[in-house]
Amino acid sequence: MRNGSGKSKSRVVTKASSPVLDAALDIPLTGTVEDTISTVLSILKEDGDFIVRRFHLFGQYNAVLFFYSTTADLATVNNHILKPLMHLPAHLEGRINELQQLRDIVFDDVLYHCGVKQENKLSELIACILRGDTAMVIDGVEESFSISTSNVEKRAIDQPATEQVIRGPREGFIELLEKNIALIRYRLPTPELRIHSMEIGRRSRSKVSVCYMDGVTNAELVNEVKRRLSQIDIDAVLDSGYLEQFIEDNHMTPFPQVQYTERPDKVVANLLEGRVAILVNGSPLALIVPTVFSQFYQTVEDYTERFLLMSAIRLARLVALVFSLVFPALYVSIISFNPELIPTEFAVAVAGGRAGVPFPAVVEVLIIEISMEVLREATIRLPQQVGGALSIVGVLVVGQAAVAAGFASPITVVIIALTTIGSFATPAYNAALALRLLRFPLIIIAGIFGLYGVVIGLILIVNHLLSLKSFGVPYLSPLVPGGFRGMKDLIIRSPLGLMKERPASLHTQDKVRVDADTSAEEQPKNVLDPSEFDPAKEGQ
Amino acid sequence: MENTRQITTIQAAAILVSTIIGVGVLPLPLFAVRAGDAGAPLVTFLGMLVGFIGLMLISLLGMRFPKQSFVQYSEAIIGKWLAAIGTLLLIAFFAILTSLAAREFGEVVVTSVLKNTPLEVTVIVMLLLAAVSTRNNLVTFSYIHLFYFPFLLGPALLIVALSLKNADVINLQPVWGNDQTHMLPGILTIAALFQGSFVMTIVIPGMCDPKKSMKASFIAMLIAGGMYVAIVIAAVGVFGSEEIKNLLWPTLELAKATSLPANILERLDAAFLAVWVTAVFTTLFSSYYLTIRFISNLFRLKDHNMFSFFLLPFVFIMAVIPQNILQMYEIIADVGRIGLFITVGYPAFLFIISLIRGKRGDRDGTQQTNPAS
Repeated sequence: MRNGSGKSKSRVVTKASSPVLDAALDIPLTGTVEDTISTVLSILKEDGDFIVRRFHLFGQYNAVLFFYSTTADLATVNNHILKPLMHLPAHLEGRINELQQLRDIVFDDVLYHCGVKQENKLSELIACILRGDTAMVIDGVEESFSISTSNVEKRAIDQPATEQVIRGPREGFIELLEKNIALIRYRLPTPELRIHSMEIGRRSRSKVSVCYMDGVTNAELVNEVKRRLSQIDIDAVLDSGYLEQFIEDNHMTPFPQVQYTERPDKVVANLLEGRVAILVNGSPLALIVPTVFSQFYQTVEDYTERFLLMSAIRLARLVALVFSLVFPALYVSIISFNPELIPTEFAVAVAGGRAGVPFPAVVEVLIIEISMEVLREATIRLPQQVGGALSIVGVLVVGQAAVAAGFASPITVVIIALTTIGSFATPAYNAALALRLLRFPLIIIAGIFGLYGVVIGLILIVNHLLSLKSFGVPYLSPLVPGGFRGMKDLIIRSPLGLMKERPASLHTQDKVRVDADTSAEEQPKNVLDPSEFDPAKEGQ
Repeated sequence: MENTRQITTIQAAAILVSTIIGVGVLPLPLFAVRAGDAGAPLVTFLGMLVGFIGLMLISLLGMRFPKQSFVQYSEAIIGKWLAAIGTLLLIAFFAILTSLAAREFGEVVVTSVLKNTPLEVTVIVMLLLAAVSTRNNLVTFSYIHLFYFPFLLGPALLIVALSLKNADVINLQPVWGNDQTHMLPGILTIAALFQGSFVMTIVIPGMCDPKKSMKASFIAMLIAGGMYVAIVIAAVGVFGSEEIKNLLWPTLELAKATSLPANILERLDAAFLAVWVTAVFTTLFSSYYLTIRFISNLFRLKDHNMFSFFLLPFVFIMAVIPQNILQMYEIIADVGRIGLFITVGYPAFLFIISLIRGKRGDRDGTQQTNPAS
């Protein structure tokens, strides 16, 4: 057997990308401890952390445990596996007559660990060891036991770093899939929450969970998500970003068609809207599909704080979003083509500022923009201790010196600074990146054609946006197919009581989410109204 | 596409409005004043009515044959060869219309904003923009029109509203004008500005409910026509009819003459022109799309994308043929009036023949839906 597996391994190694496990796929277990040990060792080799622990089951039968000391929880192995298995409890004495009975007794009476499974294929045994679980083989019993002991160090659940809110939950996803699902489940204790698991990645065998609400989410959508995921054939899935790039509709666009978030409450909110969430083991970011453009400037806080204030803030965010795209291009075109548009006093001031600058406006803006991008990238890479200090030096000192040296005009620096701040106001990093990238062609076309060019560029961008779709949902909905109900949550955020229905573009099975028809006796009562309050009741 | 009939009434109306409102708005008061002096608004209104008759005929035909394209039902009505000639004429006409609109706007841009840029560059940029955008399906086509719809109405209404404070009612009197003899050609010239509404022929087969196409046409005509009349009233009110005769693009001059309160922007004309690029784009987009859709229908092809760049050199060459602005406007006026025979006369002819021959395309459709409903 050992020779056989060795041969097939060397034969397949050039073909499949996971040759070792593929070779062991159909080999059954023999039930002899020594054979199994040698076979497993031929596959897993003599790694430093690989433990083969022989022991005597109930003091008489040969048995062996396989596990990695680095990924298995040693306390569990000691206390919950080895300890009960070594001593036969008194009440079971005399019940073991033949070897096959041994299996049932171990499974039914002795092991009080809940995660025990019986395997009969070598490949499953190996996979179980690789997962970090413990495999047990007993002499004479054909099935092996796989006991879940996997315990990988994880960081604590803390504030989501990229999506902080002032008002709202403080929990963020971590890398471990089980914990992330737990964070979702405790927010949605309903039997309708479905979590469909699959494995993607030939070598990484990453666990992927597709979460959706039964009876809410469109069934076709769920099937399509599963279908697109199952078609992925990749070596390893190291982050949910890998999956995003395989399931998105259009690969050649700067605009993201899948939203990611590290907030469990956001995932739950989207599940309830009828979307599908995809989580991957090892990634703290959940993917949400389908995604429309308006989601990129909405935040959790929009819904937790009162609607009037958040509508105003959302408007400010929209202004920042538009500014981060067109502001420098508008500046270039007005300065170089239509200075008559701006009021005379200001035009004189701008011209005065630009007096010593040797370049045309477009070159000046491009230089400052590119140095700003470099600075931004450098600030992300820098260690935190110096990052803050250096960015201040970079922005303030270099900016000021550039103006003093006659390299750039003060107005240009103001414009670029506003643009950069504006692009940070967009909550979604990937959407902000897209707009940040598109700013450069717009600046160049503004330098060539002026305002006319800016509008041409914007028309191209908008037409592209209008032709995009995420799982069939038009990217600019509900603005563009003209869903008036959805527009309650587009530019402003209407009161929750008014948004009675889930987004129409998602074609959900259950459409109503708020029932705001309160009857007369449910109206609020002014119980403490001074004019109606009965002083006799005071103190009761 | 599992469901291709998803254009709503609002989308259809938006397509019509944004197609009709285009570069023709810029010289519109001039055309109207030449025909009717102070009666220019009346001329515009009558022109609108003529345009509406054409659109109504198209809607009636479309409702009679809700499942077929214009090319298909014209073949059913008058036979394959006659219809092919009619379709070829339409294709040629809309290709010319596209090129003239691109040329006209190119002239506007070169004259007023980009004075050092060659005319050919602005023309080819507009045509390229339209050509690239035509590589989409009908649903995206309607999305694009719906999106730009507010960008058309907003600036024009703003200009009208701001200029009214300089307007004088005396300029608009007498309402029926001083001389009615040469009103008719002027009405036809203005009716020709509504020819873009022919795009309705390709919209109706994609509408969720083709029976509502008449409603959509009516709303669209009301908005577009109302806008035209308002602009003419504002221009004549501000400048007076004699002054307008000296202006090439009175609407643009109107934008120059107005300023925003508080002097946020010192002048509005460049900003207005910049926003007006979207209006011109939607018009060009529609006529270009119509042309290549008709070509692909004529050859019974499902995909029209291959024609979008194939057509570009022809349209471009036609656009640069006129020697100067004056010759261009002569050609525009002539082509527009001849075009009325194609865009109003031909559908009227088809409609009458279909009535006489009793051809309908909605029979089996109604028989199927009636028991169900």
